[in-house]
Amino acid sequence: MSADDTTAEFVLYAERPEWFDVVPISQYENIQPLAPIFYSPEYKDATDYFRGIVKTGEKSPRVLELTETIIRLNPAHYSAWQYRYEVLIAISAPLELELVLTNKLTKSSPKTYQVWHHRRLLLTALRDPAPELMFNEEVLKADAKNYHTWSHRQWLLAHFDQAELWDGELPFVERLLADDVRNNSAWHHRFFVSFERGSKDNRDEAVRRELAFTKEKIALAPNNASAWNYLRGILDHTRMSYSTQTAFAKQYIVDKIEPWDNDVLDLENPPPSSGAELPCAAAIEFMADVHETSGKECIPRAVELWRSLADTHDTVRKRYWEYRIRGAVANSSKT
Amino acid sequence: MPLPLGNKSDVDFGVGVSDDSDLGAGAGVGAGVGVGVDIGDHPSSPLPLLNSSGHVAHCGRCLDGLPSSLVEMDASRMAIAFYCLGTLDVTNYAERKISSTDRESWKEWIWDQYVGERGGFRPGPFMGSGDSAELLSETEATTTSTAPPHLIMTYCALLALATLRDDYAKLDRAALARMVGACQDADGGFATMPGGGDADLRMTYCAFVVCALLDDWSCIDLAHALKYIQRCRTYEGGYGQTPQGESLGGPTYCALAALHLVPPDHPYAPAARLQPAERHATVRWLVYMQAEATGGFSGRTNKLADACYGFWCGAALAILGAGDFLDARALGRYLAQCQYKFGGISKAPGEHPDPYHTYLSIAAAAIVSPDPGWELQALDPIINATHERRDGQRRMYLLRR
Repeated sequence: MSADDTTAEFVLYAERPEWFDVVPISQYENIQPLAPIFYSPEYKDATDYFRGIVKTGEKSPRVLELTETIIRLNPAHYSAWQYRYEVLIAISAPLELELVLTNKLTKSSPKTYQVWHHRRLLLTALRDPAPELMFNEEVLKADAKNYHTWSHRQWLLAHFDQAELWDGELPFVERLLADDVRNNSAWHHRFFVSFERGSKDNRDEAVRRELAFTKEKIALAPNNASAWNYLRGILDHTRMSYSTQTAFAKQYIVDKIEPWDNDVLDLENPPPSSGAELPCAAAIEFMADVHETSGKECIPRAVELWRSLADTHDTVRKRYWEYRIRGAVANSSKT
Repeated sequence: MPLPLGNKSDVDFGVGVSDDSDLGAGAGVGAGVGVGVDIGDHPSSPLPLLNSSGHVAHCGRCLDGLPSSLVEMDASRMAIAFYCLGTLDVTNYAERKISSTDRESWKEWIWDQYVGERGGFRPGPFMGSGDSAELLSETEATTTSTAPPHLIMTYCALLALATLRDDYAKLDRAALARMVGACQDADGGFATMPGGGDADLRMTYCAFVVCALLDDWSCIDLAHALKYIQRCRTYEGGYGQTPQGESLGGPTYCALAALHLVPPDHPYAPAARLQPAERHATVRWLVYMQAEATGGFSGRTNKLADACYGFWCGAALAILGAGDFLDARALGRYLAQCQYKFGGISKAPGEHPDPYHTYLSIAAAAIVSPDPGWELQALDPIINATHERRDGQRRMYLLRR
């Protein structure tokens, strides 16, 4: 239970005069049930009355109180949620108030499927997505990788599809990546916003922006699978060749940072930051892919890089790198 | 001792809660995570023993009863039953040691949760009597809230019954097919319940398993369902739980298993095949989920390992014919470290065990065979059942056509 509910002494429904008219129904268990739960007296009491209510089909304000009690004891009780929503609609309860309550329940049970499903039903009915984005960011502050929170945000953006909602998303993602450059949920969201929204953005412009952003983040922290996957994602999505990034990636496969060459600083291809751990396995893999697709005569160079991953830099995937070697060699001998 | 199985994982085949481990922001700018770490394993040294009897005991305790602190499992008890019975099955315990009394009464409890006229199973009796006609008949016609059958729980019940070698004599095949069809949403996905509830790839997978077992694909809109799966694919190569979601181990398993359940001679089979470039990207993403440092699998990029992803990712690789690319010994070593001293397996070393992580860890080990000393039943990665369970189930269904 959340803190604001524990002040008053909890009175069982069986002892409340205003519930005397309801016939509680006990849960029936077989003689030898599987995984029975030793319910607390409060839960048993509330669910006995809930079963009684459902039997008669009553939809009234007091049922909102009852279902709230059950949901606070067991936020995964999907029947209580579902019946509650039917009651809200049946008695035309103000859904804005329900959203306020749901905010509290979301914060106390952010990993429960039902609480997010309920939010979605409410938002669909209320049609007011802008405050919801703010609430969503608040929930992400407590857990920046909560899968449900992100799914809800993506649903909200896609469902309402309003330009003013989309507009804040890149700055939002940048705030999160500034906190944690390895937050893959934020990277994923960035891809969704940059390439998968029904946007009218200039795509070339988006590609240029995203390549620059990603390479800058890789320079800052090279051993970051999220950023390398994102770089690959951009290239795959736009069918650009990996070899367009050779000048960038090859700086990351060396053992240590090249001596500073102050004549040329290639802003499009930022070098690893000082203190970066090199060589970067993701860059080695990237360069091997470049070589593999650059023609038969480059296969030995790809093989050499995969070999270094298998033997030294990424040994847990040894069998995978050996498979890549076999595949490339077999292909090159065929043609 | 409390049984702390309220442990949560990203794609929980319960209906309740989820979680996964977080690598966090603490890794620091420039800190390497890609550099080889010596975990002190030599190919010749045996792995620690798999404490099968301890895991069976853990599951037995959970089948006997759960403390009130686990009340969130109330609406997913059938899933607990499935994990526990599955553990007994894969460890060779089910056939040899379950008494016929237990077998009969457990089957009876599962069938008590069957809502025959509505085609499927409920998670448990939490919304009333096992006999639906007795309690809820008055209002069932007017409300959807009286615990209708649940798609995930139906999958769990069918597999649990197979473990108990049930003959499915009580099953109404036509009603089951109708129920699965009624769960399909307008966007091609499947909801937890006929006509409503949340929808994601877990339910798509369960629907496909039922279609495969019934050998009846006419009850769903398959073309539409395949498009839904495709919309869950991401640039990383895995699948998100819902369209546009981040690549995640559980849904990736669900998507790949579902695609591979479509019979090769079905008219839509070509649409269910991954393109070579897609397969390549998916295999790559899956092998990257194995952590260099621990040998365990994580569920998303840059997250910490969790024992359950050994199954979701390991089985997904096996489905793609790429099961050899993971480091089975490193995974086995991680799973061994997740064993709790009094039995059961937890999501990470030092945490409390639960049936979900226990079953999925053992199922993962059954698929990847990390050590010859770990004697486990072979497992079909696609329907997540021992071959005996799977064959029995298929035989029973096909016989009843």
